[in-house]
Amino acid sequence: MKKQLSGLLFFAAFSVLVSSCDQSDPEPKGDYTAGVFVLNEGNFFQNNGAVSFFTREQTTADPDIFSKVNGSALTGGVQGYAAIGEQGVILVDNANAGMDKVEFVNSNTFQRQGTIGAPDIENPREVVVAGNKAYVSCWGSNADYTYATGYIAIIDLNTKKVTNKINIASGPENMVFAGGKLFVGTVSDGGGKTLTVIDAATETIAKPIVLDGSVTPIGLDANGKLWVGAGLKAVRIDPASYAVENTLTISADSRKFAGHFAFTSDLKSVVYTLSYYDANFVAHGETYKFGIADTQISLATPLIKRVFTGLAVDPSQGLIYAGVTPSYAQAGYAVRYRADGTLVDSIKVNVAPTGFFFK
Amino acid sequence: MTIYQKFVLFVTLTASALLSGNSYAQTDSVSLEPVNIKGFVPEKFMSGLKIQQIDSATLYTYKFQNISELLSVFTPIAFNKYGPGQLTTAFFRGTSANHTAVLWNGLNINSPILGQTDFSTIPVAGFDALSVQFGSASSIVGTDAVGGSILLSSIPQNQTNEASVAGQIESFDNYQMQLAARYHSVLNEKWSISGKTSGYFNRMNNHFPYRERREYALLPAEADQKGLIQDIFLTSKNDQEISAHVWLTGNKLVTSPANLAGRELTLTEAYRTMLRYRIRDLTLRTAWVRDVIDYAKGDFKNVDHAVTDKFSTRAEQDFTWNLNNLGSNIYVKAGAEWTHYRTSVAGYEKPLITEDRADIYLLTRWQANRRLVVSLNLRQALVTGYNPPFTPSIGSEYQLFQRNSYQLKLKGSLARSYRVPTLNERYWAILGNPDIKPESGWNKEIGLEQSLKSTFGDVFTASITGYHNRVKDWTYWNPMKNYRVENLQQVLARGLELQLSWRRDFGAAKSGLNFNYAWNKSVQEKAYDAYSVDVIGKQLRFVPLHSAGLNTFFQYKNMRLTAQVQSVGKRYITFDNSTFLKEYALVHLIGEVTIPLSAVYLRVQGQINNVSNTFYLNTQNNAMPGRSFAINMVAAFRKGPKRLPILEN
Repeated sequence: MKKQLSGLLFFAAFSVLVSSCDQSDPEPKGDYTAGVFVLNEGNFFQNNGAVSFFTREQTTADPDIFSKVNGSALTGGVQGYAAIGEQGVILVDNANAGMDKVEFVNSNTFQRQGTIGAPDIENPREVVVAGNKAYVSCWGSNADYTYATGYIAIIDLNTKKVTNKINIASGPENMVFAGGKLFVGTVSDGGGKTLTVIDAATETIAKPIVLDGSVTPIGLDANGKLWVGAGLKAVRIDPASYAVENTLTISADSRKFAGHFAFTSDLKSVVYTLSYYDANFVAHGETYKFGIADTQISLATPLIKRVFTGLAVDPSQGLIYAGVTPSYAQAGYAVRYRADGTLVDSIKVNVAPTGFFFK
Repeated sequence: MTIYQKFVLFVTLTASALLSGNSYAQTDSVSLEPVNIKGFVPEKFMSGLKIQQIDSATLYTYKFQNISELLSVFTPIAFNKYGPGQLTTAFFRGTSANHTAVLWNGLNINSPILGQTDFSTIPVAGFDALSVQFGSASSIVGTDAVGGSILLSSIPQNQTNEASVAGQIESFDNYQMQLAARYHSVLNEKWSISGKTSGYFNRMNNHFPYRERREYALLPAEADQKGLIQDIFLTSKNDQEISAHVWLTGNKLVTSPANLAGRELTLTEAYRTMLRYRIRDLTLRTAWVRDVIDYAKGDFKNVDHAVTDKFSTRAEQDFTWNLNNLGSNIYVKAGAEWTHYRTSVAGYEKPLITEDRADIYLLTRWQANRRLVVSLNLRQALVTGYNPPFTPSIGSEYQLFQRNSYQLKLKGSLARSYRVPTLNERYWAILGNPDIKPESGWNKEIGLEQSLKSTFGDVFTASITGYHNRVKDWTYWNPMKNYRVENLQQVLARGLELQLSWRRDFGAAKSGLNFNYAWNKSVQEKAYDAYSVDVIGKQLRFVPLHSAGLNTFFQYKNMRLTAQVQSVGKRYITFDNSTFLKEYALVHLIGEVTIPLSAVYLRVQGQINNVSNTFYLNTQNNAMPGRSFAINMVAAFRKGPKRLPILEN
């Protein structure tokens, strides 16, 4: 489950900032107007993913708000969540073919608003929202695990229908929307090294950018530059010219995997995990941080001496939220750290917390 | 004889008396009658353990059901079921799906690679007799018998020739077909032959008229199930018997069949063959079983193939000593078994794995006096590379009251159990561990059984059993280590089981009721990392704390109405009990009429399953189907067709 949500988190945070400036909106009503949404993948074979919720002041979570509000569960792993205005989009990945879906909710009340299922949505991975569109990366049926059937599904949030599908090879995964462009990365298992740029206006591929490693777009920094993880490197790209401006090596140890990239709230640093599996398949590693102005990345002092299944930074408070998955058969925890890596607290959520959404 | 055996016999007698006016020559015996120790399963050495036999009338009523449907009503075994024709595993007395031994004519038929049986592949039509043994009996039946054992047997008959054809049409475009022939012939002065040839074919299209129930989707799945059974018994008057048994099954399951890119195929085939020879007190048995599992996705061109052959040879010698004229005696069965496995599985480290296992065992049953029976059983299993623990057990039964109208028996057992790791657990590439330890447990249980006959002809039976079963080195595919297998856990399963039955004959009418309730508390005892503290003392996943079943029938002349209730308590789906599936109860109704014509014996049966259209979920969070209907007919052609079928399946 090498995935993270920093791209969409950044954009979502950005869109919240934008919408909060709009004073003409009436005060939103609902139990979930502000707080932290935790995305739990659940156990793949049990289809028991869920969205947990707590307000920033709380130390206990509501483990499954969708079930609580709607009386029935999401029936699949939660792969992604994004919201804009009152529109919330949940990606649900079921273990059985043809049963994946996008579930639309009211972002403030979490009431069910509609669904899109197969064949429009198959193996959804991540979602970003922009304007009245949602962009969902999907692996497609991927029956032979060659990641040849992937695509971006473009959903009109007004009609709740898929209006276009853009084929993407190698397993499309994380996305960043910026300046009318969708930057699409791929999953490391897919073997691709291409950052695909989609022009949102024409819904066509504007440019493939080939990098040195599996591509994970992270977001725009304080200077408006795009940062992308490329294997064990971090790359700064000009989002307008697509020029690669800087490449920082994270590690030279090819056993290791860099992931869960997230911008700090000032958009001047990136936190991430560097991990590896030992012979017993126990994940080891640490969480690190580098600055956008750094000339090289130092691994001398980890920010946090452990790895996580999810990592994000709350843009409003700057706290680091980390997902801990003791196993896929028991509830996990959202652990909060201050920006300097010191522990704040730990909140029990649901099975396999891998992503966070802040509102 | 246990109350269950008595109950079974009683049902058989009453049913046959009702329908035919004949009755069997068997009599209800007290324990000093000669004990049959020559059957497929040495149940007589299970003194102190609870054994429940399902009578043949019930098997006949359930002829078109899956074994899990039947056991859900009559026993506290909890089944994890994915849907009609889909994977079904058993959770017996708070243990996992790997802890129930399934024996076919005494041979363990759990898949050697998985260590469990998919009960969706076992229709009631596949065997002649069924009994369920509760608790650990590894000393008697070997590996896997930790929570209990399910014993399926073929039964010889020497009474009739008959052929039958049967078919069922069900809701959701599902249908079933069964053909059977039973024959008997005297070959010469000494030898006679009897046998059975039967086959079944079930097609489950599962065309549900709804895609979802209460916003939960039903998983589309199609299943083809077919089976062929051949039993031959050659019986000699000078105490010899030769028998040959074949049971071939094939199950093809396709989930999401309409999704051509993502559909999944699981093809499970079993070829089970056995040859058995008994001369006086010596029994020799040899068996070959091949299990095949094919799995493919999408276009089904790339198939993951798993094939395992198991060759098993066994010799047993029985000894009897009569200690006095009052019937005190000792029976001893000494046996040795050698099993060779050859397995070729796509995911294993090596293309071919072979393994040898051997068992030596000594089973004893001492009838001390009219009231007391004691069994002492010893077994040592030997496995390539390492050995499971020495496995003893001691059990005893004591008749506290022994009158015609009232009997009360106290029974108890202390037994070690073990489970040899499955081939997957040992040989799966990287995730398996060739050095994983066998699980080892101690089961203690005590129970009371009583039987009461009223002056009005009512027969009440009741039993209560408490057990305490601790299993060490419980094997766990550790999800924190990418599902690498480990001996991580220690589990303590405790429980209480209550069973009640009542039966009464009102002349032309009869009625009866069976009820069972179980409380199974099954918890993990040992922590192995910082977060396993959350799971210590919590109920194991999928094991309901409470379960209950009820079966009641009313019969008037040739018509019989049966109502059943299966009730499953809340089941946690996580080890820390943070999430669960809600409790539910299902009600089924079966009405049937038997029509004995001059040349054919007909039975017409209608079923309403899930009468109340109860909504419930499986452990994949998929909705299970609502109310459904089935109608079936059995036509048995035989000499003297007015007689009740001898063996219904």
